[in-house]
Amino acid sequence: MSAWDLLVTVEDLGSDAPSVTLSVASDLHVGGVILKLVEKTRSSVFQTVMGVCRMLNIRHPEEHSFLRPVEEKKKKKDKDSAEEIYDLTEVPLSSASRPCLYNGMPAHFADSPQMEAIYKMLSVTQPPPAPEVITKQFRPASVVDKAHINGRWLDSSRCLMQQGIQENDRVWLRFKYFASYDIDPKYDVVRLTQLYEQARWAILLEDIDCTEEEMMLFGALQYHISKVSESEPQALSSSAAMDDLESALQCLEVKMEGESSSASEMLENMTAPELNDYLKIFRPKRLTLKGYKQYWFKFQDTSISYFKSKEESIGEPIQQINLKGCEVAPDVNVTAQKFLIRLLIPAPEGMNEVYLRCENEQQYAQWMAGCRLASKGKSLADSSFQSEIQSIRSFLAMQKTSSGSHSNANANDESINPHSLVSPRYHKKYKAKQLTPRILDAYQNVAQLSLTDAVMRFLQIWQALPDFGLSYVVVRFKGSRKDEVLGIAPNRLIRIDLAVGEVVKTWRYNNMKQWNVNWDIRQVAIEFEGNINIAFACVTADCKIVHEFIGGYIFMSTRSRSKSDTLNEELFHKLTGGHEALSIPHKDGLLLVQTAGHQNQSQQA
Amino acid sequence: MEDIDTMFSDLLVEIDLITQSLGQETVPPASLSSTHEETNYFMNYTDLNDSLYELEDTDLDALMADLVADLNATEIKLAADMQGLKQPSPPPPDLPPPPQGLSPRPTSSPVSPASPAISTSSNVSTPTSSTTSPLPPPQTTKPTREEIEAQMKADKIKLALEKLKEAKVKKLVVKVLMNDGSAKTLMVDERQSVREVLDNLFEKTHCDCNVDWSLCETNPELQLERTFEDHENLVEPLLAWTRDSENKVLFQERGEKYEVFKNPQNFYLWKKDKKSLKDMKDQDKELLIQENFCGTSIIVPDLEGVMHLKDDGKKSWKPKLFQLRASGIYYVPKGKTKSSRDLVCFVQFDNVNVYYGKDFKGKYKAPTDCCFFLKHPQIQKESQYIKYLCCDDENAMNLWVTGIRIAKYGKSLYENYKTAERKAAVGSAWTNCSTPSSSNPSTPSPTIRAKSPSQANGHVPTLPPGPVTKDFGNVPAPPPPPPPPPMANFLPPPPPEPVRPSPPPLAPKSSSKPALPQRHLPTNFPPPPPAMRGLPPPPLGPPMDDASEAPPDFLPPPPRSTGFGSLPPPPPMNSLPPPPPPMSMDLPPPPPDPGCLPPPPPMFTGAGAPPPPPPPPPPASPRAPVRPSGSVRKVPPAPPKRNTPSLQGGAGGGGDFMSELMLAMNKKR
Repeated sequence: MSAWDLLVTVEDLGSDAPSVTLSVASDLHVGGVILKLVEKTRSSVFQTVMGVCRMLNIRHPEEHSFLRPVEEKKKKKDKDSAEEIYDLTEVPLSSASRPCLYNGMPAHFADSPQMEAIYKMLSVTQPPPAPEVITKQFRPASVVDKAHINGRWLDSSRCLMQQGIQENDRVWLRFKYFASYDIDPKYDVVRLTQLYEQARWAILLEDIDCTEEEMMLFGALQYHISKVSESEPQALSSSAAMDDLESALQCLEVKMEGESSSASEMLENMTAPELNDYLKIFRPKRLTLKGYKQYWFKFQDTSISYFKSKEESIGEPIQQINLKGCEVAPDVNVTAQKFLIRLLIPAPEGMNEVYLRCENEQQYAQWMAGCRLASKGKSLADSSFQSEIQSIRSFLAMQKTSSGSHSNANANDESINPHSLVSPRYHKKYKAKQLTPRILDAYQNVAQLSLTDAVMRFLQIWQALPDFGLSYVVVRFKGSRKDEVLGIAPNRLIRIDLAVGEVVKTWRYNNMKQWNVNWDIRQVAIEFEGNINIAFACVTADCKIVHEFIGGYIFMSTRSRSKSDTLNEELFHKLTGGHEALSIPHKDGLLLVQTAGHQNQSQQA
Repeated sequence: MEDIDTMFSDLLVEIDLITQSLGQETVPPASLSSTHEETNYFMNYTDLNDSLYELEDTDLDALMADLVADLNATEIKLAADMQGLKQPSPPPPDLPPPPQGLSPRPTSSPVSPASPAISTSSNVSTPTSSTTSPLPPPQTTKPTREEIEAQMKADKIKLALEKLKEAKVKKLVVKVLMNDGSAKTLMVDERQSVREVLDNLFEKTHCDCNVDWSLCETNPELQLERTFEDHENLVEPLLAWTRDSENKVLFQERGEKYEVFKNPQNFYLWKKDKKSLKDMKDQDKELLIQENFCGTSIIVPDLEGVMHLKDDGKKSWKPKLFQLRASGIYYVPKGKTKSSRDLVCFVQFDNVNVYYGKDFKGKYKAPTDCCFFLKHPQIQKESQYIKYLCCDDENAMNLWVTGIRIAKYGKSLYENYKTAERKAAVGSAWTNCSTPSSSNPSTPSPTIRAKSPSQANGHVPTLPPGPVTKDFGNVPAPPPPPPPPPMANFLPPPPPEPVRPSPPPLAPKSSSKPALPQRHLPTNFPPPPPAMRGLPPPPLGPPMDDASEAPPDFLPPPPRSTGFGSLPPPPPMNSLPPPPPPMSMDLPPPPPDPGCLPPPPPMFTGAGAPPPPPPPPPPASPRAPVRPSGSVRKVPPAPPKRNTPSLQGGAGGGGDFMSELMLAMNKKR
C-alpha cells in the first residue's frame, strides 16, 4: 500500500494561504480526503490551545493563547544557542478529562525517560538565566512598546492556518488573561511553573514596573526558588502532590521515633543551644570615640548578653539585649574581610543602633543566623537555624565569586550571579557585590519558604503590583486626535494619556451595558451605566484582539459561578468570537454583544 | 479565657472572704484596687506578685504567692527532674517533693517539651506513643492492669507537661475602660487573641456584639490611638508598655475598623465622584471585595497623594507625594517621575504599626489634625524613629490608615471581619444559644497550642529563679489559717454582703459605682432578669437555670477536676478550654477520685479540689454549678489547700500533682 503527500489549496483560507499537505494512502477515498482536510483546517486556535494544554497537563486552558514570537534581533547568534526541541507529536492522549497520574505525573509522560525529561522541563523552574541572556532579550522601553506585543495574539476563533501559521512555525503559548482561576499547587504543577516563568521574565525584562525594593525581593525569591528546586528537583511535584497534613504527620513520626532514643539525648536536645564567642561591639549613637570594643558574647534564646571576658561570663552580664522585633542588616565585604551585623533594637525610647563585628565568615554566619531568627522571635533551637546559616554562607560565596572575574560567574553552580536575578537596569546601577547584600536583606524574609510557597509568594507579589494584569493597546478615541493607550485589565479598562503618562479614566466591566464592534470601520464602542459611551479605533492591534480581550475577561469572571469543571466553550466563543463564532450580521454590519451586569447574554440588537 | 477570668475572680473573692474573716472587711480590696489604679492597668505575672507584696496585707501576699507558687513549683520540679536525670548538680534545697524516683521513667515526659507537636496531637495518639517508650512490655493485646496504669501514668505525665506549659504562659491583668467610664478587669494570657478578649467582653457587657466593637490602645504621651486587630495577641503589645505609662485599653465601637468591608468602594474607587460611590449597589460592593480580598493575592487600594511629613526632630512639615503599594509607602523624589522605578521607599510595614495621632496640630504644629504615624510597637516615647504624616482631611487619613492595614495584614483583616460578622450574628441571637461562648474558648486552643512552646521558652527567663523559690516557701505557711473561713462561708448560703465587697478587687474604679450589678449581669445573657442575681449564690439550687447559663464561665473547671481525679484524664488538660459537655461529667469525678488513684496522698486531693466556696463574685453566676461539685468533693478531704483554689485548679494543682505522680511511680517500682 503506497502513501504520498497531497497538496491541497483551500480557497476559503484566503488566496495567500499555503497549500495544505495531506498524507493519503491508496485506500483513502475522496470522502476520506475531505474529512481529513476539514479535520486539519477546522479546529480554532482556541481548540488547539485546549489540546496543547491537555497534553501539557495545564488546567484552565482558556487563560492561555498563542502569541506570535518576537523576531530575533539578529539571526547570526543562533549558532551558539542550539535549543533543545522536544517532540510531542507522537504522544498518545487519554480521553479522560483529567489525566490519571502516574509517579506524580500524567500517565502519558511516564512512558519513557525522554517523556519524563520533558515533563521535568515543564514542571521544574528553570535556573536563573545568565545576565547576558537577559540583556540580549527584547525589552519594552515604553507603554507603546508593550502595546505592540499585544498585537501578536492569534485570533482564537480562527484556525492556525487561516492566520498564516504553517507547519514547523513557532508560536508561544502564554498566559493571556491575568485571571488565574482556582490555582491549586496539588494539580497545577505545570501551570504554576509556567506562570512563574512568565512572571519572572516579565519582571526581568521590565515588562511590568516595580520598585527597587520589590525587585530585590523578586531577586531573593528567584534565588531561593532556584536553590530549593536544585536541592530537591522533584519538590514541587512531590510536595505538591502530598497533602500538607500528611507530610507534617510523617515528619512528626520520624521526629518522634528519632527522639525517643534515649532520655539523656533528649534532654541534651532540650537544653537550648547557645553561641559563645568574642565579638566586637560598637554603638554609633553613643558619642564615644572608642570604636569597637571586644567582649565575650553569649547568644541565648532570643537575647545576646556580653561580659568583660569569658572568665566573667558566669556573673551578671554588662548588658543583655533582647533581639525580638529588631531589624537586622548585613554589612559585609568578603574581600575586605568585613563582617558586620547591624542591629536596630527597639526600645521604648526609640531604636538603638548596635553593630556587632565578627572575625570571620564562619562566626558571622552563625551569629547572623541567630540574630535573624531572634528578630522573628525564634530561638537558636529553631529548626531553621542550620539552614539559615547555610543560606548566609552561600550568599557570602555569591559575593566572593561575583567580585572576582564575573565572566565565568556561572561556572560554579554553587553560586549565582546576582545580576541573573534582577533586570538590566540594576546591572548598570549596582555592581554584583553591591547587589548581593541587598538581595540577601530581602532574602531573610523568604528563606524559610517551601518551594511551592516561594513560587506562590512570587506570584502574589507580582499580582499585587499596581500595573499587574494590564494589557496595553494603542487606540485612537473617537473625537480625539492623538494616540492614547487603552489598558485592559481583568476587571476594568483604563485610559492612559501618553503625554502625561497617567491613567486618566477607569471603566469597570461590571458597569458595562454593552459593547459593539463595527467591523467595517473597525471601531469598538462601549456603553457603560450612566449613559457613558466610548468608542475607539485600534492602532497597534486588530480590533478583534481587543474585542477578544474584553469578552475573554468577562468570560473569566463568569467562571466562579459555574462551579463545574467543564469549560463552557460555547460561551467563550460567543463572547470572544465576533463575526466568526457568533455570526450575527446586523443590518449595518454591526455586531452587538450585550452584557447585562454579569449576565452574559449575547443578543442581537 | 473565661476560666482564667473566673479563676481570677475566684481568687479575688477568696481574698475578700479571707480578709473578711480576719475582720478586716473591705479594707484590703480597697487597697488592692487603689494600687491597681496607681501603678498601671496591667501587670506581668511576676509584677503582679510584686505589687501585691507591697500591699500591707500579708494574707493577700500569701494568696498571690500561692497563685504563682504552684506554677513555679512545677517548673522547679521539672528542672530538678531533668537535673536528676543528668545527675550532675544537686537539686535545689527548697524543693519539697523529692525528685529522685523519676530518673528512669520520665522518658516520655521530656519528649513533649522538646517536640511541641506531641502535645498538639490528639489524645489518642500521644498515650500510645508514650506507652511504648516508658514501659517495658507494652505490646499485649488486651489492656492489662499494668497497661492501664502505664497509660494513666503517661496521661498524667502529659497533664503535668501541659501544666508546665501553662505555667510558663504569661498572663496579664488588664483593665479595660468602657465607654461609660467604668472599667472591667480581665486576666488575659499571652495566647489569647484580641478576638477572644472581645468575645469575653461581649459576655460581660451588654453590648450588641456588632463588628465595630474593638479594643484600642491609647498612649497619652505620644497622643496615639490604635485599634488592635482581632487576630493579634493582646498581651504582646501590652508588654511593650513602660511601667509608668498611662496607656489605656479601651473597649469601643470603632466604625473605621471594618469600614473597608462595608463600603469597599470608598477605598478602592476613591477617585470616583462621591455621589456614584454613595449609590453603590451591594452586589457591586461584594464584587469589589471579591476582587481585592479573595484572589490569589490581596490587592491594596492604589493610594497616591500629597501628605505632609514631619521633619526629624524639627517642628516643620514638608509636603511630599506619597504612594501606597503592597510593599510599602513610597514617595516621588523631587524632579522625578511617578514611575515605579524612581520611587523612593519611605517605609515598609514588617516592623511598624500604624497609629492615629490625636491633636497634633497643637502638639507638633501639624497642618491639620488628621495625622497618623508609623512606629515600632515597642517605641513608647517620642523618638526620631517615629514617622509622622499629616493628611489634608479625615477621609484621606482613613484611606491611608486602612490602606496600610490592608498592606500589612492582608487576608487576616478580611478573615477577622468575617469572624466578627459571625459573632455579631450570633450575638443578636444570643439568648437561645450558649454555644458560642463555649465554642470560642475551644476553637482557638489548637492554634494557641502550636505556638505556646516557643513562647513558653521565651518566657522562662522572665520568671526569675529567686522569687520563685521565695514564693514557694511562702506557700505552705499561709494556707492553714485561711481554709476554715472559706468553709464556713461556703456552707451557709452566701449573704448579699460578701457579694458586694467582692467586686472591688476586680475593678477598682467600679467599686463605688453601679457597675457592680452590671458586671453581674453581663455574664448572664442579654436578658438578665434581676431575679438572676438571686440565683447564683445557692450553688446547687437552681439546676435548670444554671445549666443553661453555665457553659461559658463554668465549663473550664469541671474537666480539670476530672482530669485530676478520675481515670481517664486525657482530655481535660490537653485542651485548655474544655469541651462543653462536662456539665454532667462534672459531678461523677468526685467519687472515682479516691478509688482510682492508687496512691492518693491527701495532698493531692486537696490540690485537685476546686476552689472553696466563696460566694458568687461578679462574673461568678455561671460558675455556681462548679461549686457544688467542689463542695461534694471537698467534704471528704479534710484539709483543703488554700493555694489550689486560687489557681483555678489546673495550674494550681501542678506542684502537688507532680509529687503525687512521683510517689505513684516509686510505689510502682
